[in-house]
Amino acid sequence: MAKSAPPRKKRSVLKSKSGDSFLGYRRPSGGPGARNHLAVVSAMDNTNPLVRRICSLRSDLIAVNTSFGRALMGEDEAQHFRVMGHLAGHPNVGAAIIVGLEPITAGAIAEAAAKASPWMPIEVVTIHEVGGTLKSTSRALELAGKVAAHLSASRRERCGLDELILGAECGGSDTTCGLVSNPVTGLVADRVVNAGGTVIFSETLEIVGAEHLLARKAADAKTKRRILAGVRRSLEYTEELGVDLIGSNPTADNIAGGLSSIEEKSLGAIKKAGNGPIVEVVGVGERPTKAGTVFADAPCGGVENITTLSASGAQAIIFSTGIGNPIGHPISPTIKVTGNPRTAALMPENIDVNLCDVIEKGLSYKEAEERLNKELIDVLGGKPTTSELLGETEITVSRAALSL
Amino acid sequence: MARAIRMDKKDNVATVLMDVEPGDDVDIEGGGDSLRIEAAEAVPFGHKIALAPIPSSRKILKYGETIGIATRAIKAGTHVHVHNLKSSRR
Repeated sequence: MAKSAPPRKKRSVLKSKSGDSFLGYRRPSGGPGARNHLAVVSAMDNTNPLVRRICSLRSDLIAVNTSFGRALMGEDEAQHFRVMGHLAGHPNVGAAIIVGLEPITAGAIAEAAAKASPWMPIEVVTIHEVGGTLKSTSRALELAGKVAAHLSASRRERCGLDELILGAECGGSDTTCGLVSNPVTGLVADRVVNAGGTVIFSETLEIVGAEHLLARKAADAKTKRRILAGVRRSLEYTEELGVDLIGSNPTADNIAGGLSSIEEKSLGAIKKAGNGPIVEVVGVGERPTKAGTVFADAPCGGVENITTLSASGAQAIIFSTGIGNPIGHPISPTIKVTGNPRTAALMPENIDVNLCDVIEKGLSYKEAEERLNKELIDVLGGKPTTSELLGETEITVSRAALSL
Repeated sequence: MARAIRMDKKDNVATVLMDVEPGDDVDIEGGGDSLRIEAAEAVPFGHKIALAPIPSSRKILKYGETIGIATRAIKAGTHVHVHNLKSSRR
């Protein structure tokens, strides 16, 4: 396990121009963890209650539950197992117990997790094999005790930003996102990319109206094609549904917050990605193969989106919000940042970084960037986020098709 | 004094940084020449105010980019939002 693995070459800390580094759990392969979770992963919706019960009986477990999973087909099925496998095999997870109804789907998730993190202790418990929920609970707890010893031997070490995948998300948007929280997130994103790291952002419908700017930033023709194809597909689908985007995106609360069209929302939204060229486009929950700024062609809903960013390997997510949205991801610590003074006053327990001084006191973007970057480094090193402390965390795997 | 921010010098709207009442003088900060306009009507915090008259069917610009089309003539100093701006996409 971790001890017997060959030492990783020390490349990162010195390379980072900004000198930024964080204390993470170095893994024998793949990026370092910002957390060292013992994850109990539900293979599908029907094992969520069992997973919740298991997690209620030990204080060191986190539940990784999911909607759907049963009787999926084709790309939808592939997407479900890819995302759940990548969540189980996430660098922030030190060991995983996959809980399923039957061994085939639980095994598929275990296999995807092992492929992502070959070093990880992964155990499988299924109701059909062990026999009923009570014996399965007992079996999972025995296994948790066994793998917990492996986790407790891990120590944090200094890691460079080149080993980081940072997710950037915007939810509960209003006009302050485009003015403050997204551009400042973009400055921190630039810092990560300049240090050799990766920033992943998403929400295909929320680049409509700004896609020409992103296409211009594409590093190659294939990336450009995939960005524009994603936008085209989203617009064709809304047309097929016969819906007007106004009211659904921007949503009613976005509109109340001053956003008047999808273009206005998108032009503000893309600022969170920073200024770097876009080097790759990935699908829902796919892991990037290149360092730099990566676009994930994935849906916009906040929980769906942080799920796809986490499955793509983001060790932390900066979640910019205007009107406020408390949600975070259970595996990837989610930093809520706002530039809206009303939101910061209305829901302070849900905000990790308050950048209202930009609007109220003329705080410069540079000073705001320092504030957000410090929080990122602290959170990567173990500082709990508001959503972790309050348990405001959730997972939803995007659907590629309808159930039959 | 009320404040608003213009993201790019090409913009014909600015975002107000506080609730603006009719008759308020609004200082426009950000891209382009400094400007002060009088609010012709209430504009809520975070919403947009027209910096110049915008004829019907003309583009509305923020961040130096098109955010929609005017669905009617918009007077300087008035509120620009979904009642007089329509997305140029679906």
